Amino acid sequence: MTGLTIDVLPGATAVQASHVDPPSGASFTGTRRLVWLVLRRDRFRIAMWAFGLVGLMAVSASSIVALYKTQDQLEGYARTVRGNSALIIQAGPGYGLDDPTLGAVVMNETAQWLFIAAAVMSMFMVVRHTRTEEETERAELVRAAPVGRHAALASAMIGALVVNAAIAAGNVVALLAFGLPAAGSFAFGASMIGVGMVFAGVAAVTAQIASGSRAALAMAGLVIGVAFVLRAIGDVGNGVLSWASPIGWAQSIRPYAAERWWVLVVPVAATMVLAVVARALQDHRDYGSGLVAQRGGRPEAPASLSSSLGLAVRLQRGSLIGWTVGLGSLAFFYGLVADQAEQMIEDNPDMADFFAQLGVASVTDAFLSTAMLIMALFATGFTVSSVLRLRSEEVSGRVDPVLATPVGRRRWAWSHLAVALVGTVVLTFVCGLAMGAGAALVLGELSRIAELTAAGLVMVPAMWLLAGVTLLVYGLLPRWSLAAWALVAWVFVAAMFGILLDLPQWLLNLSPFQHVPALPAAAMSWPPLAILTVIAAALFAVGLAALDRRDIAGT
Amino acid sequence: MSSAIRIEQLVKTFGSTRALDGLDLEVSPGEVHGFLGPNGSGKTVTIRILLGLLRADSGTVSLLGGDPWRDAVELHRRIAYVPGDVNLWPNLSGGETIDLLARLRGGGGRMGRQSVDVVKRDELIERLALDPTKKSRTYSKGNRQKVALIAGLSSNAELLLLDEPTSGLDPLMESVFQECVLEATAEGRTVLLSSHILAEVEKLCDRVTIIRQGRAVQTGTLDEMRHLTRTAISVATDRPITGLDSIDGVHDVTVDDGYVRFDVDAAALDGTIRHLSSFGLRSLVSQPPTLEELFLRHYGDELAPANGERERAAP
Repeated sequence: MTGLTIDVLPGATAVQASHVDPPSGASFTGTRRLVWLVLRRDRFRIAMWAFGLVGLMAVSASSIVALYKTQDQLEGYARTVRGNSALIIQAGPGYGLDDPTLGAVVMNETAQWLFIAAAVMSMFMVVRHTRTEEETERAELVRAAPVGRHAALASAMIGALVVNAAIAAGNVVALLAFGLPAAGSFAFGASMIGVGMVFAGVAAVTAQIASGSRAALAMAGLVIGVAFVLRAIGDVGNGVLSWASPIGWAQSIRPYAAERWWVLVVPVAATMVLAVVARALQDHRDYGSGLVAQRGGRPEAPASLSSSLGLAVRLQRGSLIGWTVGLGSLAFFYGLVADQAEQMIEDNPDMADFFAQLGVASVTDAFLSTAMLIMALFATGFTVSSVLRLRSEEVSGRVDPVLATPVGRRRWAWSHLAVALVGTVVLTFVCGLAMGAGAALVLGELSRIAELTAAGLVMVPAMWLLAGVTLLVYGLLPRWSLAAWALVAWVFVAAMFGILLDLPQWLLNLSPFQHVPALPAAAMSWPPLAILTVIAAALFAVGLAALDRRDIAGT
Repeated sequence: MSSAIRIEQLVKTFGSTRALDGLDLEVSPGEVHGFLGPNGSGKTVTIRILLGLLRADSGTVSLLGGDPWRDAVELHRRIAYVPGDVNLWPNLSGGETIDLLARLRGGGGRMGRQSVDVVKRDELIERLALDPTKKSRTYSKGNRQKVALIAGLSSNAELLLLDEPTSGLDPLMESVFQECVLEATAEGRTVLLSSHILAEVEKLCDRVTIIRQGRAVQTGTLDEMRHLTRTAISVATDRPITGLDSIDGVHDVTVDDGYVRFDVDAAALDGTIRHLSSFGLRSLVSQPPTLEELFLRHYGDELAPANGERERAAP
C-alpha cells in the first residue's frame, strides 16, 4: 500500500518538539497479517458473493449466446433498446449497440447490476472490518498487538481489492468461456474492480466520519444511490452527469465497444484519493467513534419506550426512515421519466409490435408497473432485514434481559414483526405516492397518484410472504437465518432475469411477485393477494411456533 | 413451596457437549446462595434454563414453585436478572435502558409504568456513579455492567439471578454492589449469585454450591464445607516429630526453620493433635481453609498443571 503512505520526510522541519514521528510506514505494521484475517473471516461471504456474481454473469451470457445467434437478432435487440430512456436508466447507455455484438448485448443486460453489486459488497466489507469491528472488543485486542494505527483500514481496502479482483477474474473467465473477445472481457473485469474499489474507498471515508457502523453504511449506501441516479440522468441526457458517477466511469471503459482503457485512470485515482483522505481523517478521530460526535442521550426513557414494541420501533426507526427516503426518491425519479416510455413507440416500430404482442395497452403503464416491481424488490431488502433483527437481537444477547422480564417470546417477536410488516406498508405506500407524483408531474395526469399508490400497495402481500419465509427460517433453523438473503436474491433474479434466462414457468411462479397484479399495466385482481396473505399468515404461525419451542442462542 | 429454586438431576446437552450433567441445586427463600465454578462449568447455562431461555433435556426444575419454561412470563414478574456479559442497544442511553427494562418488568401496562421505583433507580445511579445520559455504545464494560445492575437491583423482585455481576466493576463499585445485595437480603429477597470472585462469595453468601463439569460437587454452608476439608497446621515441638507421614489424612508435610507444616483432613484432626502432643508442643497455629482453598481443592487437578508455581497436590 505504498500509494497510501505520505509520511513526513526524515529531517522535515515542521515537527513539534515533543512529537517524534514513527519510522515511515510503522502505522501500517501488521497489515499483511490482518489481510489474511479479513479474508479468513469473510471466506463464506466471499464465496457467496463470488458464486452469485460469477454465476449471474455465466447464466446471462449463456442464455444471450443461445438467444441471439444471428446478426439480425442482435440488430433487433439493439433497435428495441437503443434510445429508450426507460431502459437506459436501468441498463446504461448501451455502448456498442449501434453495431451490436454479443459482448455489447451481454454488457447491456448485466453490467449495471454487477457494478452495483460490487459496490454494495465492497461497502459492506470495508465498514465491517473497520467501524463494525471497533464496536466489538475484538479490534482492541488487535490494536493492542504490534499493529499499526492504519493497518485495519489498509487491510480492509486490500481485502476488498483481493475479493473484487477474484470476482472480476471469475467474470472474465466466464466471458472468455462463452467465446467473447479477450479485450472486452478484461476491460469489463477491470471496470468491475474499479467500481468496487471506488466504493470501498467511499466506505473507508464514511467509516471515519459517521458516528457508528450503521450510519457509515447508510452514508456509503446513499452515495451508491446518488451515483446510480447521476449516471441514469446523465445517460438519458447529454452524458455529462454520468462522469460525476463512479458507475458512469466503469461503463465508460466501454467493454466490447472500442475499449477506452485510459478511463481506468479515473477510478484508480479516485480510489487512491479516497484512501488517502480516509487515512488522514482517521488521524483526527478517536478509536471507536467517528468525526461526527455521538450525541448524548436522555437520562430517562420517553414514554414511547415502555414496551417491547416501543423498543422495536426505536431500534428500527432510523432504518425505516433511511429506506423510505432513499427508495421514495428513486421512485419519484422513475415517475419523472414516465413520459419517455411513450417516446420509444414512436421511435421504434419493433417496440410497438413487441408491446402489441404482450397485449399491453399502454407502454407508459408497462414501464411504470415494471418500475414499481423494481421498487418493491428493493423494499423487500428492508422487510427481510427488519425480520432478521430478531436474529441479531438474539445472538448479541440483547434479547436475554428482555425475555427475563414478563415479555414472552411471541410478544417480543411480534414487536419486531409488527415493525417489519407495517414498515413494508409505509415503504410501498411512499414509493407508490412518490412515483405517482413524479408521473403526474410529467404526464399531467393527477389520477396517476392514486393509481400508482395502489400499484405500490398491491406489492405488500408478496413482501409479507417473504417476511414469513424469513421468520420460518429464523424459527426453525436460526443458524441459517442469513439464507433469507439468498431468497431475496432469487426473487430479484426471477423478476429481472427470468425472461432473459428462459427459466421454466414453475420456477418463476415460486416468486410471490409473479402473482401480484402488475398495476397499472394489468387489471386489479384480489384473489392472488388474499392467497399470498393467507400463506404469509401461515408461515408466521409456524415460524412463531418453532421459536416457542427452541433454545434462545447465547452470546 | 419451600425452595426458591429446586433443581434435580438437570441435564442439558448442546450437540455432543454435555453442559449440565445431572446438576442438583437448591436455594432457600431469603438466602444468598453462591454458585461457584470455573468458566464453562455450566453456571450460565443453569441460569438461562431458570430464565426459560433454554429448555432442559431432562431433570426437574422448579423456580418459585413454577416451571421456568412453561410459566416463564408469570415467573418473570417476580425475578430480576443481571447477566455477566452485558450487551446493550448501542443507540439507547444508559438511563433509557434502565427505564425500559424496569417498565418491561412492570408488565407493560399503565400500572406497570408507575411501579418503576424512580427513587431507588436514582439512588443506585448515584451510588454506582453512572452517567445515564451516555449512549450505551460509548460505555465501557464496567459501565454496561452498572446499567444491568441498576436495572436489576432497582426492581422489587423477590428473586435476583445474578450471573457474575461484578466481573467488570472496580473494587469501589464492587463494595457498593455488596452493600446492595445485603440490603436486598435484609428486605427478605433471595439471591442466586454466580461468581468466581471468592472473597465476594465469602462475604455475601449463606450457602454455596460448587459446580464442576455440569455437576454440583459440593453444597452447604461455608462452615460445613470447611469441616469437610483440610485444615492447615503449623507446629513447633520440643522433640522432632516422627510418624506424621503414616497418619491417614495428613498431607504435604514440610519442615521449615523448626516448624512443621502440613494439611490435615477434618476427620483426622483429633488423632493428629494427640500424636503431636506427645512430642511436647511449643506452638500450634491452625488455619481453617479459605474458600479459595476449597475451590482449588476441587479444581486443583485442573489448575495444577497450568499453575506451576503453586505447589499443591491434587486431592
